[in-house]
Amino acid sequence: MAKQLHDNICEEHIFSSIFNKHSKDLHNFLYYKFGDLLNPKDKVQEAFVKLWQNCSKVSPEKAKSFVFSTANNLMLNEVAHQKVVLKHQQTKPKSYTNENPEFLMQESEYNDKLQKALSNLTEAQRSAFLMNRVEGKRFKEIAEILDISTKAVEKRIYGALKKLRKDIKEL
Amino acid sequence: MNREELISKWLDKNLNDQELEAFKNLEDYNDLITLNNNLQTFKADKYNTSIELENVLSIVRSNKQQSTTHWFNPLIKVAAILAISFGLYFYTTTLNTTIDTSIAQKTIVELPDTSSASLNSKSYLAFNKKNWENERNVELQGEAFFKVAKGSSFNVITKIGTITVYGTEFNVKQRENYFEVICYEGLVGVKYESQETKLKPGDSFLIIEGKQIAKEKESMSTPSWINNESQFKSVPFGEVIAEFERQYNVNFTLLNIDNNLLFTGGFPHGNIDVALKNITLPIGIKSNKEQNSIILKRE
Repeated sequence: MAKQLHDNICEEHIFSSIFNKHSKDLHNFLYYKFGDLLNPKDKVQEAFVKLWQNCSKVSPEKAKSFVFSTANNLMLNEVAHQKVVLKHQQTKPKSYTNENPEFLMQESEYNDKLQKALSNLTEAQRSAFLMNRVEGKRFKEIAEILDISTKAVEKRIYGALKKLRKDIKEL
Repeated sequence: MNREELISKWLDKNLNDQELEAFKNLEDYNDLITLNNNLQTFKADKYNTSIELENVLSIVRSNKQQSTTHWFNPLIKVAAILAISFGLYFYTTTLNTTIDTSIAQKTIVELPDTSSASLNSKSYLAFNKKNWENERNVELQGEAFFKVAKGSSFNVITKIGTITVYGTEFNVKQRENYFEVICYEGLVGVKYESQETKLKPGDSFLIIEGKQIAKEKESMSTPSWINNESQFKSVPFGEVIAEFERQYNVNFTLLNIDNNLLFTGGFPHGNIDVALKNITLPIGIKSNKEQNSIILKRE
């Protein structure tokens, strides 16, 4: 306990290391949960500025959950009832460069469906699922980020996959 | 291993070679891979941690200077200044105003109403400006001549007695073993040892070493010291010497001379040689002056 007293987020190098450790995860989490319309970058910035302002009250152990819940609340304040739209990035993986037009059309149709299906997922499902699929994070890492059990992460991701496939078939 | 478990393990990237084979043989393998590949296009925007950290730190730094000094500090400063100045104001206004005179110094003190007090040498006067309208109290040690404006009772408080008046001119002389009040105008009440004596113009009240001494009527309209002169009528010689010391800052040594010898006469202020002659010649004594000490002796 005595050791923790000396660790103060108010010191810039400690603050920076916390930022380096968590900011990207936080950004991606916000992005997958709320989409890009609500400027996840800004929310990350705001959350960390708030962390700095409260640096004397928040212990380094609590810093991660502090910024996550702060950013989440900032988002929720803005979300209202807006439907989340994830941006479909135009940059495609290289393996798809030499496709015939028909395939491209199917591809874009598929992507439209996928996008709709994704926005139909619950926020919890979507954020966990995309962190797993797109960022390649394993269940255990996601569990740490979200502060939930690995089992719960697995449930969310599996449930998300099931729902996605069902929605894509139906659409 | 069932299908659900396989998919779950694939999701967690936890398949061993054998399980991977089994997974590839699943009927919806192709579907899953297509879905997976397409999902990659939803990747989050690039997030450059070091650039973002710089942004946050620059905000934090500029905020630190602003938010702390923004409104809180100036407010505290203003509050502190107000508190100090109010404190000073109350302290100084409730404080007594005091006037001191040293040897050979005289001064006129204007009191808060049109009253005034002339202060003779080696005297002390104190009064309270703030409380003046409620009670006109003046504390006195030494000798002073008062001209009191009409109004509520005016008290001169001395160690020996208290003088109460209502608008008049009078002189108070309170020295060691000597207390004299002379009324020049109006009516003056002197309270001495819980007995009040009323003085009419020209009357005087004199106590020397605790004994009241009768005096004849005063004919002057102001005390002599106001005109830079000390006049005495049947006053013990010791008191004359004491007054001389107060006016000229000298020390007397008396040889063969009775302190209680009654002296009538006076001496001017401002000329020590003339003054010395004035008090020695009438009673036939000799003086020997050396700097600040004077020896008087009877021939």
